[in-house]
Amino acid sequence: MSGETQKSRWLNPLLAALLVAGAQTAALGYMIESRASILRSGREVLLKTVPVDPRDLLRGDYVILSYDISRIEPELFTGGFPAEEKEAQIYVRLEQQLDGFWTVTQAAFQPLAAAGDTVVLRSLPFVYYPSTPPAPVNVEYGIERFYVPEGEGRTLEEARNAEALSVDVRVDAGGKAQIREIAVNGSPVYEEPLY
Amino acid sequence: MYRARLERDFKGWIDKGLLPESAARAMLAEYDGRESTFRAGRVLLVLAALLLSASILLLVAANWEALPRLARVVGIIALVWGLHFAAAWLARAGRSGLAASALVIGSASFGGGIALIGQMYHLSGDAADAALLWFAGAALSAVAFRSATMTAAAGGLAWFYFGTVLTESNFNLASDWRLWSVPALAILVVLLVRFTDAGRARHLAYLLVLAWLSWLYVDSPSLAFAGGLAASGLAAFLAAAMPGSPLRPLAMEAGSAPAFYSFALALLGFAALQYEAVGLTTEIVTGACTLLVALLGIAVAGAQNGAVRYLGYVAFAGELLYLAFETLGSMLGTSGFFLISGLVVAGIAWLVIRIEGHMARARRTEASQ
Repeated sequence: MSGETQKSRWLNPLLAALLVAGAQTAALGYMIESRASILRSGREVLLKTVPVDPRDLLRGDYVILSYDISRIEPELFTGGFPAEEKEAQIYVRLEQQLDGFWTVTQAAFQPLAAAGDTVVLRSLPFVYYPSTPPAPVNVEYGIERFYVPEGEGRTLEEARNAEALSVDVRVDAGGKAQIREIAVNGSPVYEEPLY
Repeated sequence: MYRARLERDFKGWIDKGLLPESAARAMLAEYDGRESTFRAGRVLLVLAALLLSASILLLVAANWEALPRLARVVGIIALVWGLHFAAAWLARAGRSGLAASALVIGSASFGGGIALIGQMYHLSGDAADAALLWFAGAALSAVAFRSATMTAAAGGLAWFYFGTVLTESNFNLASDWRLWSVPALAILVVLLVRFTDAGRARHLAYLLVLAWLSWLYVDSPSLAFAGGLAASGLAAFLAAAMPGSPLRPLAMEAGSAPAFYSFALALLGFAALQYEAVGLTTEIVTGACTLLVALLGIAVAGAQNGAVRYLGYVAFAGELLYLAFETLGSMLGTSGFFLISGLVVAGIAWLVIRIEGHMARARRTEASQ
């Protein structure tokens, strides 16, 4: 345990407190606001969830969500695959189907331009391992966790594994998504307020 | 503890008439009066701060459902502001120990806030990014308050970040900037140590770099990388410790750390080379080089630097036992291995006694001049 400094102060402690507490508050505020702005102005997309294996994956107090758009078939990719192992992000084009759910119609390792009634979603960075022939690509979008009060996770998991769970997300222009609403059999159970 | 040893030595010198009692008492009084000496009360304070920090984090983990979401955010931000201003007020009142404790809890509240917000708003982002943000908050606090305790906390958080990067990437190679962010944090911690005079916290940074290099090697072992570690460690060690090296005075000024850590790096490299070596001849040649390096370390820096000397002994003994096991042990069986080990350890003991005696004589002639 080294003792407190013997060097002289360079900043008035009150100013130091203002600086540190202010910067830390700004960081926390940024985390909250960057999500709220996606919910406020993003485009609405309805996603279908798929069962998660192993079936019983309640981690502490969040439910793991997996979507049918989390696994992308190689045929959907345009613009080719990276030739060697590297960290990559992919972009997927989502289009609404007749049943109301959105699904992937195109994917690429390069940014896709938004066009017409489609929404472009960006994956989180992941390490891509090439294979021949190209294998399906599994990705995350940052909407895979939903924290619930203790004891309530079980119901959601059962609904998820019975494929009765749908998730309404908002996607901003940069392709980032946040969860707005979770519904079981079409009726909302969790609706997320902005703050 | 150093204080107790000092007192015992003084007593011995007073009994032999080498030191007047009044001088000894004055020296002890001066030592006790120093700001940085160990005080039980201060240590307990920081421990209390750590316990309170843990309670904040646990409160967050328990999900805290009774309060509405926004009220929880306001609560944690109020905690951050309250604790930092409490620290400022305590620092102005000269209560530096209490101020340091308040800063530690304040920083923990910030970390708790990051976790709380991630949980409440379902942000399933990168855990390593969250750890990095926490480190940045602690480092800012260390700079703004020029606090050595916060520098130590930032050093600990740099380790936490490294651990998160490893577990998040399942111990595989992470992305390029992640890879380089670890030594970058180590450099930041060293700068903080210099700025806040945090002394011992620098070891957190040096050990972080060594751990990072070991991880790089384990992740993608190659002969070139092992050789590079050995060569750069050896070059740095010679630059820091070889008499006549222009960098030696600078390194000596920083204490025993530069020589010790460069020596440790060189030995890490030779351990990796030993792992790369295949076939009896290469094994023995690499082993002989490792033994030579261990002896070189003891010969060059062992007299002034106890840490280098002991690391040298340990490396020398470990390498000899390894060689004995690899070459003779397999031929002679278990009992033969113990026989060889016994002889080898006896040989090392004889060598160590010779070296220690030689160094004691060298120090005596130096002192009498």
